[in-house]
Amino acid sequence: MSSLLREERMGRTVLLTRNLSPGKKVYGEELVLRQGAEYRVWDPFRSKLAAAIIKGMPADVIREGSKVLYLGASTGTTASHVSDLVGAGGLVVGVEFAPRVAREFVEHVARERGNVLPFVADARDPSKYSVAAADVVYCDIAQPDQTEIALLNCERMLRKGGALLLVVKSQSIDVLKEPERVYLEEKAKLEKAGFRVKGMYELSPFEKHHALIYATR
Amino acid sequence: MDESVPGSEGFEALRQKSIAAAEAVIREASSRPDLHLVQAIQALDDTDKYLNVTATRASEWYGLHFPELTQMVQDNVALCKIISEVGAREAVTAENLGGRGFTEKKVQAVIEARDRSKGGAISEGDLGRVRALASLAIQLNVLRGGLNDYVEAQMKKVAPNVAEVAGATIGARLMAKAGGLDRLAVLPASTIQILGAEKALFRSLRTGAKPPKHGILFQHQAVHTAPKWQRGKIARTLANKIAIAARVDYYRGSEDASIKAGLDKRLESIKERYKEPPKRKPEQRDRPRRDARPKRDKFRRR
Ligand SMILES: C[S@@+](CC[C@H](N)C(=O)[O-])C[C@H]1O[C@@H](n2cnc3c(N)ncnc32)[C@H](O)[C@@H]1O
Repeated sequence: MSSLLREERMGRTVLLTRNLSPGKKVYGEELVLRQGAEYRVWDPFRSKLAAAIIKGMPADVIREGSKVLYLGASTGTTASHVSDLVGAGGLVVGVEFAPRVAREFVEHVARERGNVLPFVADARDPSKYSVAAADVVYCDIAQPDQTEIALLNCERMLRKGGALLLVVKSQSIDVLKEPERVYLEEKAKLEKAGFRVKGMYELSPFEKHHALIYATR
Repeated sequence: MDESVPGSEGFEALRQKSIAAAEAVIREASSRPDLHLVQAIQALDDTDKYLNVTATRASEWYGLHFPELTQMVQDNVALCKIISEVGAREAVTAENLGGRGFTEKKVQAVIEARDRSKGGAISEGDLGRVRALASLAIQLNVLRGGLNDYVEAQMKKVAPNVAEVAGATIGARLMAKAGGLDRLAVLPASTIQILGAEKALFRSLRTGAKPPKHGILFQHQAVHTAPKWQRGKIARTLANKIAIAARVDYYRGSEDASIKAGLDKRLESIKERYKEPPKRKPEQRDRPRRDARPKRDKFRRR
């Protein structure tokens, strides 16, 4: 029984993640029963990772048992689905800088889920949290220097062969430049740092001016 | 930390510790730090005034005794340090002027001035009083520095987007005028634009004079360093972005670098589009408009 299911509904792909905390919703999402287990509907309009998977990113980058360092956990919408994906044997270390949104993340996600470690910390200072040898670093922090921040975190905590998933919001990096150019420039930075870029997924129609870059090292 | 993963010995304890630590940070942040910030920025502005008044008094008083020094040392705090630490004119030496960032030439000039000073004698008692004033000014300056650091650091935590767009002190002043981050977050941009210019606004409503283009925002370098004819447009753009920033800070609480980036882009385009001063018919100039309705601004979001 997989932690991620994919269904077609009226010509649209719907993603479902197996609820690690059955009976509980995190943000008002729909709960459904499949193969005797409860799943949560994962809305690509609310989660860039879901959007990337629908746009073709391999679904097994984050899988059962993965250890994930999640930068920019916000209120935990996406992080909660990552917690479902990795399951009871995996780990999600969620880092969020802003106390107001971190409160919801801690209350609704970290407290409810045994595989989530929350940190209210700045991703620019990774000494404040740690994961030994993460399988995946997921970074969605909407900062102009976020690629550098992601690389700094990978250097300290991503295992060899692990994956970096970097959400690029072209507007936070350079509003004047064409989004495509911004994506390519951020991609080049990763390659220069020794990463192999496996894919780049533009997130329309779910998000405007966003892409997710998938790279391994 | 360690290798613990869910299921392994000790992981749950580690997780609870991490949750408790996170909640402690969150709790601290939810004790309305914006209201403390509002007090701090006002205290900072008050302290600035006291400092200025006190240092000026010390300088004038001491000037009866050694006017040349008060002329030569323009920085009031530096002057107060000499007054408080050295005292009487006769006690001033090249040694005790050292380590204050003065050039050798300046030190030389002060020493020469000391020897031919036109200042009068000062009694022990009066010198004591001037020195007390000077040392009060120094203490105020220390207090001022501490308040300033606090405002900068707290703004980054409490209203990071407003701090980024408006600058920490200006952002804090806007927050103080509005009465807190919650209030600032619900103000329309047009009000933010003229916060601090209430007098001019009421005057314009009364007399039909031109409404103010900016209040506190005039302190922002993008406004006051711009040519006059651009200032209103820049202040309006700035106010728009601050309104957005305040809402993001209050409702979402997270940082969003795209607000500042958007501001920079708009400022660029204003500078580009309104490079030349507008040509106005001379008879139009300065005539107070009876009709106090604001003119429609041509600069619109595209
Ligand atoms: C676009 S949101 C993330 C949304 C989230 N990934 C989701 O899909 O549910 C970006 C978040 O990153 C946080 N952030 C920005 N800079 C950060 C930093 N330096 N360290 C940690 N978090 C940061 C912001 O406070 C914000 O909550």
